[in-house]
Amino acid sequence: MKGEAELKVVNLRKWFPVRRGIVSTLLSRKTEYVKAVDGVSFEVRKGEVFGLAGESGCGKTTTGKTVLRLLEPTGGEIYFEGRDITALNKAEMKQMRRKMQIIYQDPYQSLNPRMTVFDIISEPINVHRLSDSPAETEEIVHKSLEDVELIPAEDFVFRFPHELSGGQRQRVAVARTIILQPSFIVADEPISMLDVSIRAGILKVMLQTKEAQDITYIFITHDLAYARHICHRGAIMYLGKIVELASMDNLVNNPLHPYTIALMMAVPVPDPTLGKARAVISGEVPTPINPPSGCRFHPRCSKATDICSRQEPELVEVSGGHFVACHHAH
Amino acid sequence: MTILEVQDLKTYYSTLKGDVKAVDGVRLQMEKGESLGLVGESGCGKTTLALAIMRLLPWNGRIVGGKILLNDVDIVGLDEAIFDKDYRWKRMAYVFQGAMNALNPVFKVGDQIAEAITIHEDVAKREALDRARELFSLVGIDPGRITSYPHELSGGMKQRAMIAMALACNPDFIIADEPTTALDVIVQAQTLEVINELQKKLGITMMLITHDLSVVAQTCTTCAIMYAGNLVEYADIDTTFSDPVHPYTQALISAFPSIKEDRRELISISGVPPNLLNPPTGCRFNPRCPHRMDICTKEKPEYLEIGDRHFAACHLLTNGG
Repeated sequence: MKGEAELKVVNLRKWFPVRRGIVSTLLSRKTEYVKAVDGVSFEVRKGEVFGLAGESGCGKTTTGKTVLRLLEPTGGEIYFEGRDITALNKAEMKQMRRKMQIIYQDPYQSLNPRMTVFDIISEPINVHRLSDSPAETEEIVHKSLEDVELIPAEDFVFRFPHELSGGQRQRVAVARTIILQPSFIVADEPISMLDVSIRAGILKVMLQTKEAQDITYIFITHDLAYARHICHRGAIMYLGKIVELASMDNLVNNPLHPYTIALMMAVPVPDPTLGKARAVISGEVPTPINPPSGCRFHPRCSKATDICSRQEPELVEVSGGHFVACHHAH
Repeated sequence: MTILEVQDLKTYYSTLKGDVKAVDGVRLQMEKGESLGLVGESGCGKTTLALAIMRLLPWNGRIVGGKILLNDVDIVGLDEAIFDKDYRWKRMAYVFQGAMNALNPVFKVGDQIAEAITIHEDVAKREALDRARELFSLVGIDPGRITSYPHELSGGMKQRAMIAMALACNPDFIIADEPTTALDVIVQAQTLEVINELQKKLGITMMLITHDLSVVAQTCTTCAIMYAGNLVEYADIDTTFSDPVHPYTQALISAFPSIKEDRRELISISGVPPNLLNPPTGCRFNPRCPHRMDICTKEKPEYLEIGDRHFAACHLLTNGG
């Protein structure tokens, strides 16, 4: 049913310890952490495409991997279909993984170069023992190749990844993911390595199977123009925090957080008659090891006042479904 | 005034499987002050064209035909020593793809810029460093940072330092190869603003190579679309977007999403770019073209001027359709 939460994340944290030299270890200085994800909460509704957007290093990929427990969370809860999956043991998690899948960014690295397309796509079936006979496996593999429009399937099953183009590889990666009929997929920048002319084709097969199998997606991207056309709702991240969460329409047309506003203004538009993209903020994203106090964006923010450096703003709902974490946005 | 003229340029790479025809008959003319966006997908030959102009082709690449005229001098046949001393970096400079890796990590950025100056001009190092400081402030970096090492600069600053280095000898002509591709959107906007400003201030003639039509729309005055080793269309920037005539240009524009439009279904171009070892006969776009006719598979369309400084190569223009 639409509107129901497929995934609910509460105060998710993922900290990576910083490797130290032997001297500081001996002097037992305090361990430092890269706070890649630092207290993130959101809900993904059943059947929607939820965008996670932000600049590199904002924690969007770490969030995506952590909600699947491909990275163990440092803290927080992850509810998938109502169950807290952080409490599951390995065997239970394996069962769960059938329903929760990921598509990686780079199809040149995510496919084993020594395996044929058939082996790559059938591996999940074997791992989860979903087929009773080799004939059935073959049938399922062919069907999924057809689903991603690698037709005729027999032309592709015995090829190796190096014999495929980038777009075809990413289609194989999609086929491998949807063959388990998951209900939830994290797509981590699935088109950013591909040429413009073939990107839409990959998105089309992803979204077609979404309709056919009722899949919920988290779509991780740095490209807001694509997010605009694919996602229903989305969250903008900055230094491990969500700064704004709303429908894609609201994020684009009515952004409230100064960072979201700056992002939207910086996106170039493929139309010379429209205004130019502008950089309304200077500088670059600081390191997440020692993020600024209070609001992490305050050193670059034109609206910043005293309170911004002292107190961290909460993500609060300012109107129906539009959340923003800023002391000055409401 | 014409700064650069490329006449029927052919650049091939020799491989064990045969010649890869990366640039196969490109005709191009750039006027002073023009800012040309050279757009195409990966492997279409846009970087090869730029490297051929700079004479920086890798060992297995060679120019097999055509001319490259810089201020009416054919630089293809020039002696390497003369080209190195008087042309490369002095009259034409290159902003390399991936500024992150283009700077030498063990030298201070100021010294690297000063080196480019002292090699080409008879000036003392101190003077060259002064120029480096000026260049830094020109591209919006604190001049004091010339004593920094590359790893002490952020990605956006490194990219600006590369642009400063390209400007070091006041070249007539600059090629920028994907100058913003590795940058985040806000830093990209900052860098494009620097480029736009420099164009206004210095009137540089520039070729900006990119796969991103939106970057071209925001930065360039003209646009050339390249496909499989050929230019398929050239026009001023407004015409490119409002009245493109080549089916590939049209398809590329409609495949490109804009944040300013309402949510829509994105359109892809069927098929994949061809392998340049064995490109399709006739028009190289014909296997992917929605308007394909018989002639398209047989004859290569001519690259014709169809309007004022508007060129295109498509049989639809000469054979109706």
